[in-house]
Amino acid sequence: MKTIHKILVVAVVIFTTGGMIVGCSSTKNAYTAATDVQDEFKIEKSGAQMWGEACNRCHLAPSPADYNDTDWSTIALHMRVRANLAENEIAKIETFLKSAN
Amino acid sequence: MKKLTILLMIVGFGHITYGQTYNNFETDSVTAPEPFKPSKTQFMIRGYGHTGLNFMNTEGEKESSYVGSAFAPIFLFKHSDRLMFEAELEFGLENNELEVGLEYADVMYILNKNMTVRAGKFLLPFGTFMERLHPAWINRLPTRPLGFGHDGIAPASGIGVELRGAFDLGGPKLNYAVYSTNGPRLKDGSVEPEEAGMLMFQNFEDNNNSKAFGGRIGLLPFADSSTEIGFSSYSTSKVGTTDSEYENVGVFLYAIDFAFIKQIPAISGFIDIKGQYNNSDIDDATYTEVHEDGDEEEYTFDNKSNSFYAQLSYRPTMASSDFMKKLELVGRYSNLNTPEGAEWEERSDQYAFSLNYWLTWRSVIKVAYQTTDSVGGHDGGGTANGFFIHWAIGF
Ligand code: HEC
Repeated sequence: MKTIHKILVVAVVIFTTGGMIVGCSSTKNAYTAATDVQDEFKIEKSGAQMWGEACNRCHLAPSPADYNDTDWSTIALHMRVRANLAENEIAKIETFLKSAN
Repeated sequence: MKKLTILLMIVGFGHITYGQTYNNFETDSVTAPEPFKPSKTQFMIRGYGHTGLNFMNTEGEKESSYVGSAFAPIFLFKHSDRLMFEAELEFGLENNELEVGLEYADVMYILNKNMTVRAGKFLLPFGTFMERLHPAWINRLPTRPLGFGHDGIAPASGIGVELRGAFDLGGPKLNYAVYSTNGPRLKDGSVEPEEAGMLMFQNFEDNNNSKAFGGRIGLLPFADSSTEIGFSSYSTSKVGTTDSEYENVGVFLYAIDFAFIKQIPAISGFIDIKGQYNNSDIDDATYTEVHEDGDEEEYTFDNKSNSFYAQLSYRPTMASSDFMKKLELVGRYSNLNTPEGAEWEERSDQYAFSLNYWLTWRSVIKVAYQTTDSVGGHDGGGTANGFFIHWAIGF
C-alpha cells in the first residue's frame, strides 16, 4: 500500500510539473500557427454540431433559448470546468448558443 | 446684521443654484441614451429539486411515503472570463428533520487553455457518477447505484486543491484532473462497532498529516465525443488519527468509468450507456468487538470492497409522435461487495428499471421499479423491492 501511494504521489508530481511546463511554454504564436494549419486541412465542425454532441453527454442538451447571453457566458465557464471541455470546443459552442437564443 | 443676512442669503441661494446646475449636469449624463452594457461580474442562482412517492417492500414489510422535497440551490459567481466561484447547498427532509448540507463550495481559475485550478470543497472526479451524473435532473433513475452515497465505498467530495484541464488531440480529446484533499478517516469501531474498518470520507479538519492524492484521466477516442473511458485513483498512506493504533492504515482506491451516447438513426433515437467500477483496498487492521456479556474479542479481515453499475437507456427522439419523443426507457444493474468477516459484510445485486417522461431538457418524471437482493448488510439482507414515482427539475 505504501509503495502504491508513493508511486501515485510521484506520478501526480511529474504530471503536474510536466503539464505546467507544456502549458506555460507553448507560446501564443505557436498555438495560432497550429490552429491555422488545422483550419486549412480540416473541415471544421460547426458550434451547433458540437453542441448536439458534447452537451448531450451527461444531461440532455439545453435549448439555446433558455438563457440570455450573459447567462450563457456564466454557464459556459461552469461547464468548461465541470465537464473538462477543451477550450476551442466550449468557445465554439458558446458562440453558437449566443447566436441561437 | 442686515449685511450679514444678505451675505448669507447670497451664499445660500448661490449654493442652491450651483447645486442645481451640478445636479442637472449629473442627471443629464446618466440619462443620456446608452446601450445596455452587461457587467463583467455575473451572478446566477441555479440548482435543482425533486419530490416523489416511494413504495417499499422489504421482506414483506411494506412502507409507502411521499418523499423528497429536496431543494439544492447552486450559486455561481463569475468575476471574469477566468475566475469563478460555485457553491451548492442541499436541503432535504430526512428522518423527520430538515437536513442541510454544503455539497460543494470552491473557487476556480483558468490558468491557460489546458489548465484550471480549483480549491475548496469540490466534487471529486473519482469516476463520473458523483461528479457528473448524480443530480436528480441528470440521473435517469430515482436512486443511486449501489456503492455510492451513504455507506458507499466511493468518495463523493473532498476539501483541497485540484488541477484539471483538457487537450484537443485534433478529434480525440483527453481530459485530466489531479488533486490533493484531506482524505478519509477510518472508522475504528469505537463509536459504531458495526462499521469498524469503513472509511468516512467526510473529513473537514484532517485527523492526521497525511493528505490523499488522486486523479482521473479521461479519453474520448472519437471526434464525435460519443465515447469516454476514464481511469481514476485515490490513495493516502494514513487514514487513522495521529497517535492512534490505526494511524498508519493506508488506502488505495481506483475506478474505471465508461460512457457512450449517440443518436443512431437506425433505431430512431439516442442510446446512452454508462458504467463505473469502484475498487477499494484498505490495509488490514485489528478491531475490537464487545460482546453483550462485556467480553472483548479482537478480529481482523481482508478489507477489500468493490462495486459496479452499468446503465442503458434509450430515447426515441426521432419517433414521429411528440409523446414518444419525450419518453425514455432505462435499465440499470449494480452490485456491491464488502469485506468478508467485517461487521458490514454484504453482497448485493440490484436491478432497476424506469420509464421516464421528459417535460423539458431539465425536468423529468420517472416511474421506476427496483429490486435488491442482499446477503448481510445493514438490514440483515433479503429482498427489497421498491416502486417510485419521482419528479425532478433543474433550474
Ligand atoms: C461531463 C458532463 C457534462 C457535460 C459534457 C456538460 N454538462 Fe452541463 N452540467 C453537468 C452537471 C453535472 C451539471 C449540474 C451542475 C451541478 O448541479 O452542480 C450541469 C449543469 C448544466 C446547466 C445548468 C446551469 C449550470 O451551469 O449549472 C446548463 C445550462 C448546462 N449544464 C449546459 C451545458 C452545456 C451547454 C453543455 C455543452 C457545452 C454541457 N452542459 C455539457 C454536466 C455536464
